[in-house]
Order: sequence, then structure tokens, then C-alpha cells
Amino acid sequence: MEKEKKEKLLDLFRSKLDRPMRYYLDVCTRCGICKDACFAYASVPKAQYTPVWRAEVVRKIYKRYFKWTGKLFPFLGESKEIDDETMKQLYDAAYTCTGCRRCMMYCPFGIDTQAIQSIAKLLLIGNESAPEELSMLADTSIEKGKHLELYKASFVQGIKNLEKEVISKWKGESDQIIPLDVEGANILYVALAGAHSIIPTASILNAARENWTLSFFEAVNFGAFVGDPIKTQMIAKRIINEAIRLKVKEVTICECGTAYRVMKHLVGEQPFQVSHIAEVMARYLKEDRIKVERDRIKGLITYHDPCQSARNSGVIEEPRYVLNQLTSHFTEMTPNREYNLCCGGGGGLVALENETFREETGKAKVNQIKETGAAIVATGCENCHTQLNFLKERYEMGVKVEFLTNLVANSLVLE
Amino acid sequence: MSDEIKVSKTMDLKGLPCPQPVIKVSKGIKEIEVGQILEAITTDPGALSDFPAWARTSGNEILKTEQESGLIRFLIKRAK
Repeated sequence: MEKEKKEKLLDLFRSKLDRPMRYYLDVCTRCGICKDACFAYASVPKAQYTPVWRAEVVRKIYKRYFKWTGKLFPFLGESKEIDDETMKQLYDAAYTCTGCRRCMMYCPFGIDTQAIQSIAKLLLIGNESAPEELSMLADTSIEKGKHLELYKASFVQGIKNLEKEVISKWKGESDQIIPLDVEGANILYVALAGAHSIIPTASILNAARENWTLSFFEAVNFGAFVGDPIKTQMIAKRIINEAIRLKVKEVTICECGTAYRVMKHLVGEQPFQVSHIAEVMARYLKEDRIKVERDRIKGLITYHDPCQSARNSGVIEEPRYVLNQLTSHFTEMTPNREYNLCCGGGGGLVALENETFREETGKAKVNQIKETGAAIVATGCENCHTQLNFLKERYEMGVKVEFLTNLVANSLVLE
Repeated sequence: MSDEIKVSKTMDLKGLPCPQPVIKVSKGIKEIEVGQILEAITTDPGALSDFPAWARTSGNEILKTEQESGLIRFLIKRAK
């Protein structure tokens, strides 16, 4: 590797070395408690699937270049040069970790492996070896933010095409179907680009007679998946600017765990509230703003807690409240809530070509679902939904994977 | 949905949710030569804004967008 590139990578590494990061890199005793917390190791017990192994790749570079022992005696101890082989190891470490942070729950020192892997991801960007798909998707999102006028008409046309389906689900009277650009709306709903993320929620918001408006931008933040802090902020900023321009009271994020975590916790204080759609549905049900028919949906239902919205953002009881309004037959997975096992699709992994890895390392999640005996697995995250559907097919699980919004929309009682 | 543009490769992306169509197209376009045309058929409404934004950032050119019976058809020229 050229000296200039190495210097650039070390500068990037240095940019991440704040006080908490130094703590995470310094205090690990390699006790190995984290290994059993990882969904990948729980499914395939290989050393490279342990959080501590993944962290060690980064930690050894830290020891080599940022600790006096490594600087003076690089041949002693366990330090690692930055070279092409190390970059490959960083890729394997960063992209076998979903950033679910379950290991952090069990680590006696609370080491945040996702934070450590954010160094690996940043170095991969600097080395131009980050996953091309994620970078491309992040750039596409940013482009839409920069030149909305070029894409607005096609987006409006796409939304218009969905309206018939919203009307067929929600048969009540309303002068709105999928409102756009409504200044002063209570809620700016930020969906994903697909119809599945818009139609059920539009039905629910209309049934609640909500004054809402649909965002022109998709919620998903590929900048966060690829670990680029600047692109993460640029992608989020599109939505923030739109919310401020429309003077909305609340930004409601669709079923996308990372999008919710970014907007709720990683963009600083904003002049609007941030909610997850599960929180909004629970609120409507508690306030009798929508009515649902209990047990219209047949069969035992379990819930998969998405790591980013549940463990890392605290949306834990609201989905359960919603499900308990929909069914008398709800059952928990074990473990659950903030201790739930990751499905293996997060961190952008579902967008990459890694099907063998995702199949093998999803085994623990498959067993967890099978043990419930449920016919339906509900979840509140796009990545989880995609990965659970993938596992369902690969393991012939015989369950149905459903979004919470779809279950609620299909249970609406319309007066 | 007919035209006289010569298509070198067709990708059937029906039923795939966002962002799969744009990921697959970004890979598929590399399998044709510069100047050739890729046809992509999708059902994802998000593609209507995603594809043009991707084309602009990747330096490719969308020659035509057609919609019929829930299908969206793009003709994309590999420009570089």
C-alpha cells in the first residue's frame, strides 16, 4: 500500500478516536462473553464470527499506530500494519457484523462493537473498498435530495398509481388519499420507496383522520449502512429540511429500524418530534382514533424485535400493545425485547451478495421462531422483514412474515 | 410498450421491492457495452424516482420510461 494512502487511512482512524472509542479499544480483556451474544456465532461457532475477533482487527491497528508500545515496538505484542491483507480482514469484520449491539448488552465493560466497526467501515471507504451497492444507494439518495425538482413529477405519478389500492383498503370518506406537500401537517410520514411501506400506513393514518403528508424522500439511510458519517447526515438532512419547510409537528418513520434510530438519536435536537410508526399506531389505538377487529387475523403471532428500533432505540412495548389489540394469540420469542437475537439482515447486509452467509448465520433465529410454534412472525423493520422472508424460504419454515402496519391495516374496522 | 430501440439485455425485476431493482440494474448495466441499451421491467413505484437519480449519479442515460398495467419499463443506455 502506498504511503499516502496509509496516511489517509490513519487520519480517518484518528478522526474516530474520541474518548468513548479509546475506552472501547483499551478495556477489552478478551473474556469472550460477547461471543454467545452474537447471532452469527450462535448459528455458526467460528472464531471470526465473534464480536471480539471482529473488534481485534481494528484494535490491533490501534495498538500499532496509536499506542506508544506499538509505535516503539511494533514487533512485540499484537499489533497490525495497515496493508491490503488487513483491509480484507476489516471488510470481513465489518460486513459480518449487523451492528445489532447485542454483544454490548452482555459485555461486562459495555464495549460497543458497532462503534468499533464504524472505524473499519470508514477505513474501507477511504480505501475505496466499501460495498459498491451501499455507496451507490447512498449517492442516489443524496442526488434526490439535491435535485428534487428533477424527480418530483415521477414520484408524484408513482404515488398517484397507489391511490386505488389505498381506497380499496380504506373505504371511509376522506378528501385525502396520499397527501403530499401539506404545510402545517401534524405528521410527515417518511416511508420507503415501495408500495408496501405506503399503502397500509396511508390507510391507517386516513382512518385516524390524521392531518398528515407523505415525504418525498425514502426513510432508509444507506449512508449509515456504509458507515459514512457525512453521507448519513446529508441523507437525514433532506427529511429534516422538508419537515422544517412544511412546519410539521412530528416526523414519523416507517418500519425501518436504522432510519428511525438515525432520526431519533443521531441528528441532534430538531424542531419536531420523531416517532416510529408502531408508536403512532399504539397511540391511535389507546385514544380510540382507530378501531381494529381482534382476531380477524387467525393463528398464533410472535414478534421479532428489530435491533435498531428496539434494543437501540427503545420501541419495545408499543408493538406488543398493538399486537395484543389485534390478537388473543400472541406469544413471545425467547429471548425477546432488548435481548432479542438479530435476524442477520441488518447493517445493510440484506443489500449485499452474501446469501450463504445470511442463510447459515440465520439458523439461531430460525430455531427461535420455530420454538414459538407461531404461524405469523410480525416485525417492524424492512431489513428484518426481508431477511426473515429469506430465512423462511431457505429453511421452509411454514410461517408468514408480516409488517405490523399491514396487520393493523387488514384489521381496521371502518365506520 | 413497443419501440424501435435495439435492446441488448432485458432484466425482469417484477415483484422485487426497493432497493433491489436499482441494485440489480446497477450491476446489469456493467454486463453490456457502452452505447448499448438495457431494458428493465419493475413493479416498484419507487423506481420511478430511484432510477433517474441513479442514472444521473452513475452517468448513464434513461432513454424512455413507460407505465402500463402496473408495470414500469425503463430503457437505459450505458453511457460510460
